[in-house]
Amino acid sequence: MIRVLGLTKQYGAVRAVDDLSFDVAPGRVTGFLGPNGAGKSTTMRMVLGLDRPTGGRALVAGRPFAEFAEPLRVVGALLDAGAVHPGRTGRDHLRVAARTSGIPARRVDEVVDQVGLGPAARRRVRGYSLGMRQRLGIATALLGDPGVLLFDEPMNGLDLDGVRWIRRLVRQLAGEGRAVLLSSHLMSEMEQTADHLVIIGRGRLIADASMGEVMRRGRAARTVRVRTPSAGLLAAALMRRGLRVSPAADGDLLVEGTGAETVGDVALEERLAVHGLAEDRSSLEQVYLDLTGDSVEYAVAGLPGEPLAAEPVPVLEVRP
Amino acid sequence: MSAPAVGTVGGPVGGPAGTPAQPGTAAVLRRAAAAEWLRLRTVRTTWWCLLAAAVTTVGLGVAAAADTADPGGPGGVSAVFAGEFGVLLGQLALLVLVVLAVTSEFATGQIGPTLQWTPRRGVLLAARLTVPVVVVTVAGLLLALAADATALLVAPDLGLPLSELAGSLVGVAAVLAAGGVLAVGLGLLLRSTAGALASVFMLQLVLPFLLASFGVEWMEDLAELLPGTAAVWVMLGEPEMTAGAATTVLVGWSAAALVAGGWSLLRRDAA
Repeated sequence: MIRVLGLTKQYGAVRAVDDLSFDVAPGRVTGFLGPNGAGKSTTMRMVLGLDRPTGGRALVAGRPFAEFAEPLRVVGALLDAGAVHPGRTGRDHLRVAARTSGIPARRVDEVVDQVGLGPAARRRVRGYSLGMRQRLGIATALLGDPGVLLFDEPMNGLDLDGVRWIRRLVRQLAGEGRAVLLSSHLMSEMEQTADHLVIIGRGRLIADASMGEVMRRGRAARTVRVRTPSAGLLAAALMRRGLRVSPAADGDLLVEGTGAETVGDVALEERLAVHGLAEDRSSLEQVYLDLTGDSVEYAVAGLPGEPLAAEPVPVLEVRP
Repeated sequence: MSAPAVGTVGGPVGGPAGTPAQPGTAAVLRRAAAAEWLRLRTVRTTWWCLLAAAVTTVGLGVAAAADTADPGGPGGVSAVFAGEFGVLLGQLALLVLVVLAVTSEFATGQIGPTLQWTPRRGVLLAARLTVPVVVVTVAGLLLALAADATALLVAPDLGLPLSELAGSLVGVAAVLAAGGVLAVGLGLLLRSTAGALASVFMLQLVLPFLLASFGVEWMEDLAELLPGTAAVWVMLGEPEMTAGAATTVLVGWSAAALVAGGWSLLRRDAA
């Protein structure tokens, strides 16, 4: 497992990671979520000892990563699929990696088969597509059969097949009892993959909660749009039942904090006609945007519908 | 590329449970060095550099030695002149090999994975210093020997006294080892291929000859403080210099570059 303790990284005047603490537990996929520039990659680089923290520390299996003699047997990581010497063949790249951790050479062929690199492994990396580089990076991560895995935006730029493949692989790795940290800036990538979410913005922890908790909040944050000729009567009826109702610009009603079934039932009870009833389906994405809205590094000022200065939502476990 | 089935991940080398027993530092260093040797062998540039060094060292070395053997030539030299003169020029291709071994990882981002595989930076420094330096030193010795032998075949009058040969090869090894360490140090410090190559070439070849060519005294004095001048003295016995001064210059530059480059690898962020 991974333990991040008060990790801080300062670049001149910019604090890229600010007193960040969280755990990555074995047997589940921990989604590491945040807008671009939130500090996800910097955090992962510090966990792997690539960058030196300004403060705090990160432990892998109870020790700083840099202490391991056979690191590939402990941690497999794919940070940047493009960061490979282009003049070496994929297979030679893996052979070098295997040699550093004393991993038998036959394991190289096993991971090449496992990620489906096939005959491309004997070609130089220079000619690889992004998808092939991702596969090579994942093969490297799996080489030592490690108990801890870190993937930084592994689905970026992949086609649908590739995304599905990574999703299944990541699920499988966690199912085998490994600790998996998977970063992304897209909530939609996490919905079907992660068990637990660590959300950060501007280098700070925003939320550390199970997917279930976030889903529940997502349901609570639902909005229903109703089209009715009796807007005034329906709004009054809904408000009598304690629901928040607001008019949309086109005359529809927006009902917060409930589902379509409730609104439909109320309309039936009141014998009011309903011409349209729609639930906002992007609720989970909305929770994420609400949570990170005030921490987006490069917000576009005044763009309608963008939560530029959303107030902090203290529903999830937010650490001090 | 189609998505393959997700096979079983559990391999033969342990599993998610627990941490395997750790091997000692000597074993880790041995593996890092073996990996470094494999890194050098598996990129084409290494072989191109060795080829260029072979052509330059043997070709130009033998040509220059044959010249001196001509009745009209300067005379008074043996066949070891071929290896010495050849290495003086051929070392540039060998130093390119060393610089690229270090800086190409920074240029391509490969240094990230490399440090994930060998996170003990002192171990990586030791391997990355030793392997390329040993490779170019051994290559230079073999090429010098080949040049000497070829020169003897081409111009048997030159002769090849064994005592001279031994001394000559020690000199070749010293120059290449010192130049290799200088190149590793500057590569680690500057991290850029162009910057490191330019620095090594200036110090090792361009400035020593350029400064000495103007006939200005203070420039000549300055040139004598450069590693390239000491290398020329070790090979050709020019300009006037004591063995102690030459050794001090060679060792001093290499040590300074190594300290700076080592600090850069050990203390700075990976990229």
